Amino acid sequence: MSRTLFEKIWDSHVVVQQDDGPSLLYVDRHLVHEVTSPQAFDGLRMNKRIVRRTDLTFATMDHNVPTTDRSLPIVDQISSRQIQVLEKNCKDFGIELFDIHSPNQGIVHVIGPELGITLPGTTIVCGDSHTSTHGAFGSLAFGIGTSDVEHVLATQCVWMEKPTTFEIKVEGKRKNPHAITAKDIILSIIRQIGTAGGTGTIIEYRGGTISDLTMEQRMTICNMSIEAGARAGLVAPDEKTFEFLRGKKYVPKNYDELVNYWRENLKSDAGAHFDKSFTLYADKISPQVSWGTNPAMTTDVTGTVPFPEEYSKGNVDEEKAALKALQYMGLKPGTQITDISLDRVFIGSCTNSRLEDLIEASKLIKGKKISSKVRAMVVPGSQLVKRQAEQLGLDKIFKDAGFEWRESGCSMCLGMNPDILASGERCASTSNRNFEGRQGAGGRTHLVSPIMAAAAALAGHFVDVRELDLN
Amino acid sequence: MKGSVIKYEKDDIDTDVILPGPYLKIHDYKELAKHAMEGLDKDFHSKVKEGDFIVAGRNFGCGSSREHAPIALSYSGLKAVLALSFARIFYRNAVDGAFLLPIEIDENSYKDISEGDNLEIDTAKNEIKNLTKSKTYPMKPFPELIGKIVAAGGLFNYKP
Repeated sequence: MSRTLFEKIWDSHVVVQQDDGPSLLYVDRHLVHEVTSPQAFDGLRMNKRIVRRTDLTFATMDHNVPTTDRSLPIVDQISSRQIQVLEKNCKDFGIELFDIHSPNQGIVHVIGPELGITLPGTTIVCGDSHTSTHGAFGSLAFGIGTSDVEHVLATQCVWMEKPTTFEIKVEGKRKNPHAITAKDIILSIIRQIGTAGGTGTIIEYRGGTISDLTMEQRMTICNMSIEAGARAGLVAPDEKTFEFLRGKKYVPKNYDELVNYWRENLKSDAGAHFDKSFTLYADKISPQVSWGTNPAMTTDVTGTVPFPEEYSKGNVDEEKAALKALQYMGLKPGTQITDISLDRVFIGSCTNSRLEDLIEASKLIKGKKISSKVRAMVVPGSQLVKRQAEQLGLDKIFKDAGFEWRESGCSMCLGMNPDILASGERCASTSNRNFEGRQGAGGRTHLVSPIMAAAAALAGHFVDVRELDLN
Repeated sequence: MKGSVIKYEKDDIDTDVILPGPYLKIHDYKELAKHAMEGLDKDFHSKVKEGDFIVAGRNFGCGSSREHAPIALSYSGLKAVLALSFARIFYRNAVDGAFLLPIEIDENSYKDISEGDNLEIDTAKNEIKNLTKSKTYPMKPFPELIGKIVAAGGLFNYKP
């Protein structure tokens, strides 16, 4: 019987299959960070349990680490304490930790792939919803809560109800791939299928446009699968995937053998059945900017802030939600998106903080100055990304233009460390969530691509990046 | 299970408003509870009473995997969230730690239940009595295993 890629990975990881209800799945890689793990380790201690597979468990600190000079002590005592707790837990339980001073420290979803911890065909869990990022490599990767983190630490398994399958085809050649980015593709998808459009499903992204994307761009797309409510996103691995991972620190020694196996097996069979299907034509989309308080509240850069009654198409609840979102965002319906002025720009997060994102943004920034009204910040996704960018001289380009060049971490994506918006401040952000208060209480977030963020930093407002010289 | 309703007529109530990011550093559950729903309703902590229920729209708990969200609600005294639908990770976290019951209700019940109504939830019969309005609503039954985990008091107390 023909099977989808997801079903193949699922079948090869089921430990206990029940007739009805969840199955017990084996976990190949468990990524741990400082925020969702302390109670899990407490639980292990309380019940005198050990970590079952320390060799498959990797930890880093990313969510609340400061992005300022790391030779200085951490000012926030509570953050400092949470970081020390992770250090102690990793030491006590024998888990490899990429701590704040490690050359491998970074956002957990950036370092997994760059260290070769992420591998095709594996199952990967982490106490973080954006674990879906790793699906770009053809791994079944999903976020779990702290109870499940404890369960995985103790058993290397997780209970899971078998999700349904959702095929999202992206077809069509983009006229200007520097202007219409992977971020614009995923925002367009979420805008159309909605924040719950993928609930209970594993999305497999397919089609010519997806094949054309680099690994970093595929990660951007899979990363935001959770914003459509999906459990995970997947892209079938191909030669780009195999080359990306080749030679990385943690890939197994029999890499070529594995590649042969992956090449043969890790794809959906012809005629495999998907429970749902959706097609996006990438040649028809424009650069995207979110205007509201969830990622589906997004429109074209050439568009206007919608009128709630038009946006809702007669749905009273949606109309109320749009009205409330506009109040929070301080926007008037009918305003041109390109007339929205910005106070802050953030280039970073597990969605868009990789080397390619920084290169793209820097090409536009080079030799220019950001608007005097804007405070702009680049937070590389990892120490490796930061080093590579500095070797290319990107730090200098950004700093000369007026950007702050920071240490790696989650930073202003979720407002846990001092990098936050003040109430009422408006930010063009390459992150993944524009929820109320996400980047700081009262802060207003517009989700955009790195190139749009860079253009907005220069102009002080959004611009149609297709009109700029990006080559 | 009896309690009164705090109603939010809103879809997509996300984990960042249920428990804003800055509080994820807090280890003490009672302290977390003081910030429950702070991103949406600053008065929640002062008005919630032991045994209360939240009634809300679609996709409740979307966003982050932070278990702090159901924990903060639970330690506020909340016993259940009745919503049109739930985001998966929130649903699962609520059940795993037996923090609160995520109960799916239908559109009619959602419209009919008002702020302050007294409800009685009977998970054995899969029904919700509105004691204030003398009405009965259906609830979506828990899948068998979820029901067993809930009955056992969470994932770690459940013995297959």
